[in-house]
Amino acid sequence: MSTLASVRGLSFRYPDSQRWALRDVDLEVQQGEVVLLAGPSGCGKSTLLRCINGLIPHMYPGELQGTVTVDGQEVAATPMSHLAQTVGLLFQNPENQIFMFSVERDVAFGLQNLGVPRKEMRARVDDTLRMLGITDLALRAPHELSDGQKQRVALAGVIAMRPKLVILDEPTSLLDPRTALDVVDLIHSLNRTHGITFVVVEHRLELLIPIADRLVVLAGGRKVMDGEPMEILSDGRAAEFGVSVPPISRLYDSLGREGMKLPRVPRSPEELAEEVER
Amino acid sequence: MTLIEFDRVTYVHQTTGGTALKDINLKVEKGETVAVVGENGAGKTTLVRHINGLLKPSQGSVRVDGVDTRETTTATLSRKAGIAFQNPDHQLFSDSVENEVRFAMKNFGFSDATVAERCDWALGYFGLEEYRKTSPLILSGGEKKRLTLACILAWDPSIVILDEPTVGQDANQKEKLSQIIKMLKDGGKTVILVSHDIEFLWPMQPRLVVMSGGRVAADGPMGEVMGNKELIEGARVTQPQLLRLYLALKAKPRTAFLEVQDAGRWLSGGAP
Amino acid sequence: MYWLAGGFVFRRVISPFHKLDPRVKLLISGEFFVLALAAFSIVEVAGVLAAIILTAAVAKSLRRIGRVFVFSAGFGIFIFVVNIIFGLGLVSAVLYSVRFLAIISSTSVFFVTTSPDELEQIMKWFRVPRDVVFAFVTAVRFIPVVMLDAFQIMDAQKSRGLEFEKGSIPRRLRNTIPLLIPLVVNSVIRSGELAEAMESRAYGSTPRPTSLYGLSMKWYDRLVTIVSLVLTAGALYIYYSVRFPF
Repeated sequence: MSTLASVRGLSFRYPDSQRWALRDVDLEVQQGEVVLLAGPSGCGKSTLLRCINGLIPHMYPGELQGTVTVDGQEVAATPMSHLAQTVGLLFQNPENQIFMFSVERDVAFGLQNLGVPRKEMRARVDDTLRMLGITDLALRAPHELSDGQKQRVALAGVIAMRPKLVILDEPTSLLDPRTALDVVDLIHSLNRTHGITFVVVEHRLELLIPIADRLVVLAGGRKVMDGEPMEILSDGRAAEFGVSVPPISRLYDSLGREGMKLPRVPRSPEELAEEVER
Repeated sequence: MTLIEFDRVTYVHQTTGGTALKDINLKVEKGETVAVVGENGAGKTTLVRHINGLLKPSQGSVRVDGVDTRETTTATLSRKAGIAFQNPDHQLFSDSVENEVRFAMKNFGFSDATVAERCDWALGYFGLEEYRKTSPLILSGGEKKRLTLACILAWDPSIVILDEPTVGQDANQKEKLSQIIKMLKDGGKTVILVSHDIEFLWPMQPRLVVMSGGRVAADGPMGEVMGNKELIEGARVTQPQLLRLYLALKAKPRTAFLEVQDAGRWLSGGAP
Repeated sequence: MYWLAGGFVFRRVISPFHKLDPRVKLLISGEFFVLALAAFSIVEVAGVLAAIILTAAVAKSLRRIGRVFVFSAGFGIFIFVVNIIFGLGLVSAVLYSVRFLAIISSTSVFFVTTSPDELEQIMKWFRVPRDVVFAFVTAVRFIPVVMLDAFQIMDAQKSRGLEFEKGSIPRRLRNTIPLLIPLVVNSVIRSGELAEAMESRAYGSTPRPTSLYGLSMKWYDRLVTIVSLVLTAGALYIYYSVRFPF
């Protein structure tokens, strides 16, 4: 597996601020991974995402130290038009990412901006709509869509540009749990079938743990934990850093400390019940 | 005593013509804690908006403290039932935090002395005293949410309705929210929570009302209602992890685990 | 107000008129507008109005455009009364009020049958700058969203005891502040998020963005264009050569 994105010694401070939003962060994202990024509010997650896709420093100037490289290109030195074809960023509220009056035109938005010729654009739009399972929504207006559908349309708009890395900023926070699970399934299938690398920021970890290859925890602008998801969650320190640890993981950890170390880290309550009964 | 009563309430949207609530019958007693769950569009938000009169039923009636909501105004009903909406940015507008807190009380006609006293209390309790003279618009997301709660509790309604209070909140903020809800319960308030966050609700063991397709699909103690897997999944709601664990164990304690510590102790051979 | 505005809002309908190239629709509306303006007599103006009604029927949008009639009728009566008061005569009064009706409904015909996407294409064809076109499209797209915001803000403030309908005029004006400020703040926040999303999708990379759809005239577009131009010329000829009694 090759390294797709590499963050080295990254520190960033916003112009009018005394404190550092990010301090000395080192992170590597491998091609094909699904990386989960967690941490309490204000820990710098949003800032880190914007450093990777180029909004920092191109749209938000500030004091930047260290380097961020994606697909061999150094982010600070590459224009957004190039970066947009390598890294896509999906923001929290899908409503504010759908500009056009119809779904298919919005999916085409990025391609229009890049000057893609019409025939190729048409093919890519149709292809993307199919990938996201929204072909039947092509001519609908955004205000006619449900929250889950809007989320897919916004994601389609990003994926139409065929980025290798897609970053999602709390994609499920405004969705109900069932719709959220649908989105997680979608991310999983896009990752497995099309090899898209994902970095997902989330509070609701239990939803994404099943598909995450790695969990990175940020706190106070620094990276404090980085490794296998279930192991990190089952490590009592995660909760101290302000991460919402699902009950089963907390239980596994507390049982371990009481002297009852289970052989495997359980991924669900049913698994834990099995382990205990053995 | 029954504080809120829905009697065969049906609600039809004027513009879309869709029926959002179908024949709802619900009684809430003073001091109860009720959680309303269900997928988006099931009618949760529509239901609670009937309590303070923002919406009036197309059929049937809603009575709050004995008064039919159609015979009075939202302003009057809000004195008794305060709703904390999901998005603080839909509410905050004043030039200072203290004026923001005072706003509702002034609208309700409280005396100057009461307004000042309640404002002091609210700012103190929610840790917003240092921001007293600051503009509410520049506070952080978490602070804004605290502020909207402070605004409501300042006028001391007997019914407090929280619409999706945990959205976008991290673990620490949720913990603080739990404490606030406990404070409200201890203070005898009637609390109604609209939420997706089943794990957050589980330790509280509220009365659970499950909405599905505009109807009440289930209504009872959370422990019991959640046990009905078919019904819960039919309403597109998830079961809490600790309950699932309890159900999966062959040898079980008398009651399901409410907190991780309870499960930990029982499993490692501690408490019965 | 809301109902009335519907007379100028696009609705997706399948009709022969809707299928026309938007430039042709613009042309036809423009022709109605000009003919309504240039008419000398009631007979002529009534003729234009009849043509508009016929077009609305072909576009299966009689009810929509009918709303505009209702609105214009009110103002038209006002014009009528003013004419009578100033002693300009019955004929003149009827002429001006019916003319007003025709002018307003001619513009309605265009807006009801042309989608925002088509409006965008027309603007591009007229070489309107890319940023202006984008601003227009985004504004139209967010109208329902901003309206929803406004309702939610009103609900939130009503739940804090604010009564929008009570009190004197100055009081009511002051009561709009808790509605306007959050609305503006939300719009500003929204603009920021939109800007981030635009940047992240390479907006502004090229001065000439391509587009998914283009405008192209079909045979029926050309036919309708020619026929309408001929009819318009004919009508103008009649205007200038025939003297109607009233």
